[in-house]
Amino acid sequence: MTVLGGFLGSGKTTLVNHLLRHADGKRIMVLVNDFGELPIDQDLIAAKDGNILTLANGCACCSMGADLYKAFAAALDYAPAPDHLLIEASGVAEPKRIANFARAEPDLTLNGVITMVDAVNFEKTRTDNRLSDIVEAQITGAHMLLLNKCDLVPTQDLEKCESVLRGFNGTAPLIRVEHGVLSADIFFGEDIKAGRLKEISEGSHTHTHEADFARWSVATDTEIDKAALRETLLQLPSSILRVKGIFRASGEDGLWIAHKVGAHIDISRLPTDSSFSGNTGFVAIGLSNQDFTTILDTAFQSIK
Amino acid sequence: MSAITVFSAKKIITMNPVRPHATHVAIRDGRVLATGTIEEISGWGDYQLDDSFADKVIMPGFVEGHCHLMAGGIWRYTYVGYQDRVDPDGRQWPGVKSLEEVLARLQEAEADLGPDDPLVAWGFDPIFLMDRRLDKNDLDSVSQNRPIAIIHSNFHLMTVNSASLSLANYVADMDIDGVAIGPDGTPNGELQEMAAMFPIMRRLGIDLRELGRTTRSLVDFGKVCNRVGVTTAADLINDLPDEDVAQMRVITDGSDYPIRLMSLLNGISQPAEETRERALELKAKSTEKLRLGAVKIITDGSIQGFTARLRWPHHYNGAPNGIWNIAPEQLNVLVSVLHEAGVQMHIHTNGDEAIEVALEALEQAKIKKNRPDLLHVLQHCQMADRAQFRKMKRLGVAANLFSNHIYYFGDKHYELTIGPDRALRMDACQSAIDYGVPFAIHSDAPVTPMAPLFTAWCAVNRLTESGKCLGEYERIGVSEALQAITLGAATTLHMDHEVGSIETGKWADFAILDDDPETIGAGKLKDVGIWGTVLAGEKHKIP
Ligand SMILES: [Zn+2]
Ligand SMILES: [Zn+2]
Repeated sequence: MTVLGGFLGSGKTTLVNHLLRHADGKRIMVLVNDFGELPIDQDLIAAKDGNILTLANGCACCSMGADLYKAFAAALDYAPAPDHLLIEASGVAEPKRIANFARAEPDLTLNGVITMVDAVNFEKTRTDNRLSDIVEAQITGAHMLLLNKCDLVPTQDLEKCESVLRGFNGTAPLIRVEHGVLSADIFFGEDIKAGRLKEISEGSHTHTHEADFARWSVATDTEIDKAALRETLLQLPSSILRVKGIFRASGEDGLWIAHKVGAHIDISRLPTDSSFSGNTGFVAIGLSNQDFTTILDTAFQSIK
Repeated sequence: MSAITVFSAKKIITMNPVRPHATHVAIRDGRVLATGTIEEISGWGDYQLDDSFADKVIMPGFVEGHCHLMAGGIWRYTYVGYQDRVDPDGRQWPGVKSLEEVLARLQEAEADLGPDDPLVAWGFDPIFLMDRRLDKNDLDSVSQNRPIAIIHSNFHLMTVNSASLSLANYVADMDIDGVAIGPDGTPNGELQEMAAMFPIMRRLGIDLRELGRTTRSLVDFGKVCNRVGVTTAADLINDLPDEDVAQMRVITDGSDYPIRLMSLLNGISQPAEETRERALELKAKSTEKLRLGAVKIITDGSIQGFTARLRWPHHYNGAPNGIWNIAPEQLNVLVSVLHEAGVQMHIHTNGDEAIEVALEALEQAKIKKNRPDLLHVLQHCQMADRAQFRKMKRLGVAANLFSNHIYYFGDKHYELTIGPDRALRMDACQSAIDYGVPFAIHSDAPVTPMAPLFTAWCAVNRLTESGKCLGEYERIGVSEALQAITLGAATTLHMDHEVGSIETGKWADFAILDDDPETIGAGKLKDVGIWGTVLAGEKHKIP
């Protein structure tokens, strides 16, 4: 489950539509924690049943008004179970409170809290004393920050905005976004359960992505110490946006799954009913800079 | 012409200042025909005299202006509260006064359950948490295998046994917010707030909202009202799908159903325009005993849960400010859309910042469109200061104050949540009177027990659970409190022309009392005995 937070008008809806449009075979279920119109582009909608919209590509979208738990119950009972649950949090919601639910519910894994910030209105909302604490909580609780509408703001304002954001949250990667568009693999992380890892490590990964992002992968059969892995992931700089891996853990049987977004790290046993059949190893995605590959190569060299 | 029935009484308190007391009331076609002496009444023609209330005191049926249908359904779970309570069927549930008594009660309930039923209890009082907290080991002594969940009286906490913990896989310290950890490093059974409680509730089939929806819940809710003299009650939030409305109509229509029920549409589960259309549609489905068409809007959370929106200087203990359920900007739009269309709004506001934001939204709406036909109500309105009451007066907005809070949570508000200054002004009935703001007082049952005479006692005495007087200035007189639980509450429901006083033309809806609340003494108001009620002239004795 991924939580998308951010204040009203920050562009969450555009991003959600973009992600649904590029779902790429993944069945995404979107829960909208707000009470406006269900913000899904008309051409995506295949059917409407009560407050659940189904999309032609197998995705679904459900409005939950302010009643979060009713919607959770509906989503968890939904058949067939979606691959991803995406909560579009209301503008005044504290995404971390919603994320807490995914951490408590054994049927869900928290894939991260992502907060979208509107570069145009950020300063105004942040200084409104009825909202400032909520905006702050949305930023500090995020594992990844998206700064939207960057094309509409002069560079110096953008930089000021970024330094304020970093002041609140120093660990979450900060990504500039225009028109609310971001690749699904950055948002959700690479989907490695279905054997995509194999593809990647063989270099046949042919998707085209924004030039700003770089991808990296390594295949490994070595047994890895969980504590050492956690430490390694923790030490990675925030320019590494996401890491995901499936590996053998020393002293344990079966396969384990690790995943990191921002400061959120989760290492747990791969469910035995998982359809994973590919090679074990790790994939990462990050901001492309010259050290990108070196950082990751070095980090993973030490634990292999 | 239909027959006239005349009830004689020791005393009739009418709430009609023209004729405040009477010895007789005449009823025709379910309505009050006349009040006064038997000589005055006999002028209306032949009548049947009914002396069954000759030694009783008759008041207008009480009006509970803010409660929830769940107050009936919750009784399907075992009661483990500190105070004595009576369930809808009249069974006495003595309060449990120690952890040992709690466990004994659970043991008893356990014996009656089928092999696959979970044991769920409610009403557990925080008073038990002062020295030693209830934990999973206590509950494991009741059963090792059967999942057990104890819902605390504030509905924000739950204690469960090991069998429940393992259902949700809470078996080790996984650093989950709200899953409390014991000295041995594993979850101790206490779960705080919904995120941590929900995985258990889902697996045990506990759905508090559904509790209000079944036929049995509606019937039980009527019984709960009847026991405390209530003849009109407002269910303060409901999704009101068509099938539920149809069911509510059938049940309330029955001549044995003892109350007029108002049910308010949830205003924040769909876009503003849809809420408006649905509210207007519902209004047209109202009957004499089922009132629809008003909308509830929840702005902030609760003071005791630290989720109310407070103005500076915020929480006394430094806890972060609370939550918004709707952004102030969105509230402005919603309030204007509903006001413009003539939909009455009941706006949940606990903290003074929420009150401020709601009043600003109402002000804007009222500047845009004059709708003198509408009285909007701030529900709870607990932290309003005197300037906010003056503003309510200027804007023509009513308040439904949460007087029961003074008793149940007053000590905590004084010591912890908002501190002495603002605790002393909470639920300010006297300020409402000072500035002429129409007001009611309520229980929010099942959050606190429904009993309007107890609520009146709270407003009159302002005593907390520990016996402290929380703000002498805001205490009101007995007659003012009696007005608040009858005509005052009727006014907030747009029903003051039909119920809330005993006067010609209004429904013959009465509370029948064993004692006289006007003379029993302010300290004993809550102890007035209740025989039952009369609805549209029909007797409903408490079984
Ligand atoms: Zn409320
Ligand atoms: Zn309520």
